[in-house]
Amino acid sequence: MQAEEQFKSKFKEKSKTQSKQKSFWQGVIAMLPLSIAVIPWGILAGSYAIEVGLTSLESQGMSMIVFAGAAQLVALGMIKSGIGLTSILLTTLLITSRHLLYGMALRKDVSSLPLKWRLSLGFLLTDELFAIVTTSKDHLFNRWYALGGGLSFYVFWNIATLLGIIAGQSIPNMENWGLDFAIASTFIAIIIPMVKAKSILVCVLVSLVSSVVCRIYNIEIGLLISALIGMACGTLYARMTGESV
Amino acid sequence: MIWITIGLMAAIVFISRYLFLEPKLPLKLNKHSLQFLSYAAPAVLTAIIAPLVLVKEQALYLSIDNNYLVGAIIACLLAYFTRNTLLTVVVSMGIFFFVL
Repeated sequence: MQAEEQFKSKFKEKSKTQSKQKSFWQGVIAMLPLSIAVIPWGILAGSYAIEVGLTSLESQGMSMIVFAGAAQLVALGMIKSGIGLTSILLTTLLITSRHLLYGMALRKDVSSLPLKWRLSLGFLLTDELFAIVTTSKDHLFNRWYALGGGLSFYVFWNIATLLGIIAGQSIPNMENWGLDFAIASTFIAIIIPMVKAKSILVCVLVSLVSSVVCRIYNIEIGLLISALIGMACGTLYARMTGESV
Repeated sequence: MIWITIGLMAAIVFISRYLFLEPKLPLKLNKHSLQFLSYAAPAVLTAIIAPLVLVKEQALYLSIDNNYLVGAIIACLLAYFTRNTLLTVVVSMGIFFFVL
């Protein structure tokens, strides 16, 4: 009898481990298109860092420790133009402030997890991870799925940076190749399937117009303002029309 | 100096990602705020790429010569009709880098 119980609990344990592994790899696979798509963008981050005058170690370190493409590229541009640390940090804060929204949206699922999970998933919380977690098929949050997606993306990002560092040492001016188109292409591939309701279309169009206007008038906080206006318009539209998303 | 910059940037990025995942932070989100936040991904991602595609030197750049715009339109069509992320990014980047 006891043996049977033991066997049962062992079996349970095993199937639990398997489902953890399964979720982890499902996350890796769900992220794979975005991981591949980030390669040109990572190459750009690595080669541009070299172009700006960082050492190989500093260039790799930036991708390993900061792990935020847009913020890294903008900061590198500012270092190149000799802009001071305070301005670089303020700009980083503006660009990265969108992650506050992601954190808020994931709060209900992640804040109850143990510290090591919160710290790991927090560190790995990129635009791409947020996208795959919020559009996962069953809409249920799974920590292993998120970890698989986030960790594999981190590995791709750093390998791509390394490739950029190597290439950047022999090929000058790679930043003029248009490698940043990769981010446009990737985000379009994420956004279009998300537009499943009219309110989301409203949100996207408002955010588009607003961010373009802000860029034209050189409003630095444009990203955050535009995102918030887009979100507000989407929400209002949904409420007014009684749409259920 | 570079390492200090990297360290401080990393701290800012990490804090912004982690802040609201911290349970000790007193913040309760009701149904309405959660609905609002459900629009975060499409709104933020659009606001990141729209200026990259549509603006050059602080002016609207609506022209067939704008490779970013042509590439982005191709990516939109691919994403809409195939619903396949990998195909969309690989084909649109291929066209952008080798054809346009």
